[in-house]
Amino acid sequence: MAKWKMYTPEGMQDILPWECYPKRVIEERLRSLFRSFAYYEAETPAVEFLDVFSAEPGLTPQETMFKSFDEQGRILVLRPDITIPVVRMAATKFRDLPEPYKIFYIGNMYRFDEHGGGRQKEFTQAGAELLGADTPEADAEIISIAANAMLAAGLKEFQIDIGQVGFFKGLMHEAGLQGDEIEKYRQLVDRKDIIGIEELAENRKIREDIKKLLTKLPVSFGSPEAVADFRSKAPNSICREALDNISEVIGILEDYGLGKYISIDLGMVSSLKYYSGIIFKGFTYGIGYPLLSGGRYDGLSEIFGVKRPATGFSMGINMLMSAMSRQKIGLAKPLTEYLVWYDRNDPEARRLAFAKAETLRREGFTTEVCISGKNIGDACIYASSKGIGEVLEIKADGTFSKHAARK
Amino acid sequence: MTRYINIALAKGRLAELSAGLFRDIGIFCGDVDDDSRKLIISDEENKVRLFLVKPGDVPVYVEYGAADIGIAGRDTLLEEGRNVYEVLDLGFGACRMVLAGPGAIKDSFSLMSNKRVATKYPRIAREYFDHKMKESVEIIKLSGSVELAPLTGLSDVIVDIVESGKTLKENGLEVFETIASISARMIVNRVSMKMESDRINKIIADIRQMLAERNKTAG
Repeated sequence: MAKWKMYTPEGMQDILPWECYPKRVIEERLRSLFRSFAYYEAETPAVEFLDVFSAEPGLTPQETMFKSFDEQGRILVLRPDITIPVVRMAATKFRDLPEPYKIFYIGNMYRFDEHGGGRQKEFTQAGAELLGADTPEADAEIISIAANAMLAAGLKEFQIDIGQVGFFKGLMHEAGLQGDEIEKYRQLVDRKDIIGIEELAENRKIREDIKKLLTKLPVSFGSPEAVADFRSKAPNSICREALDNISEVIGILEDYGLGKYISIDLGMVSSLKYYSGIIFKGFTYGIGYPLLSGGRYDGLSEIFGVKRPATGFSMGINMLMSAMSRQKIGLAKPLTEYLVWYDRNDPEARRLAFAKAETLRREGFTTEVCISGKNIGDACIYASSKGIGEVLEIKADGTFSKHAARK
Repeated sequence: MTRYINIALAKGRLAELSAGLFRDIGIFCGDVDDDSRKLIISDEENKVRLFLVKPGDVPVYVEYGAADIGIAGRDTLLEEGRNVYEVLDLGFGACRMVLAGPGAIKDSFSLMSNKRVATKYPRIAREYFDHKMKESVEIIKLSGSVELAPLTGLSDVIVDIVESGKTLKENGLEVFETIASISARMIVNRVSMKMESDRINKIIADIRQMLAERNKTAG
């Protein structure tokens, strides 16, 4: 009976007070950052209908979602993502509001296959979405918020790689490929598997110039010169527009003063079910996974009945914290400044002690009142064991004396 | 301070060949000795560290970023299905992943309804039957001597790697279909490729060039 009562399910974890404290500090920093860009927070339910996430085949693989049923037998899921619910919310609830909508969220997601953040199945993401704008300025704004989020968290060394799925789509169009075939190439390019691309192109008799461009994609990252090089060889207007778009967004990011954090990777081709234009990922040292990812997803809102261009990003808070600790960036620690002690047999001292504690708290000091120490010596030992800075002994005549915490 | 580039090599038949690649491009690896108790060999001058792990663990180390670069057989990569960059075909360790079974059932195999498949590669076998054959089969995971399974009635067929096909033949088994061609591959962690792109790209370029020269002299 109750064999598992001592355990948490795999991938689900307690976040202990000293871990939760720095986590909240980071979340607060991100919250103020997002607000400073005039993005406002929204909450969507942790539980949604499965249909929200699988409105299109392949949008969210069903084997990644936690499921249950409601009273009427409809399938419910724990949200694997917040972008899709935010888009649903905007499509169904914001009808008459002027665009664009600038929304952010900080919340927990649930996935069976979560690779990042130590493979947790429950994990926290913070992210921002910009709905109803299709300008390169909109893409640049979201990327600049992402870069500033890394800085706000305390990271100094990081890189944001920008790609554009349109270039790849243009090549596939030119080669006359469709559906599953495109997905095969996408995975190979995204894995930088040049041999695989060559083999596949050989078998399927792809045009020589397209094959050359495809095999060059995986190695085209780093400097912006790659864009100019591809621009001169682009076979159609879809490809050219994608490259011009990426140059424009990078130009705007230079004006933001973020140029040094930006790099290009045309071979980065994330899910085409989702992304439609500029995509990006953020990296730092000490962690083998991208810390944040995002991009333009103009087709998503249409699934919910409203045509609306959009872009956004999300970052993993748990992963951010592992990266920070591996880079030895100090995480915030809880600190109690005062322990107030009074003689528990003296009602007058007690009243004065509570008043003093209240004053200190109002002045912004974290203050604990001693609730069990028999004498000031006990209080000092207790203060030392908890890392409390100073002990205040309150006397019945209204005076008080300071004592150092000691062992 | 320069960070170390960490390289994970697969223990066993690929270890010496893999280490040789790095030695040939001027990254000193010392003696890579399977029996050595020392787990990590480092080259202080180039700031490179090298360690040997079980073949199946190479893509795991690389995906998590504990190793920046790894060398492992494509069989291992397919079986592990990890999210890494697969940047170079090193050519050595070449063989094939095949579906094989007793010659007697070759023609009737597709008509069998409850196929039992013995393999050391359950994921590869499952994906092959899921996606290519579009059917569910019973996968029996074994740790070795897979050829024995159809002979003893444990399974109908096997999914395994073959080099010459001699072992299969000696045991009365035939290749039904080739699932994939296998050779040693160099893989790179997705973040390392970006954060250490100069040094890692140099290693890749040097090895690529060295392989091309080797091929020229061989050919």
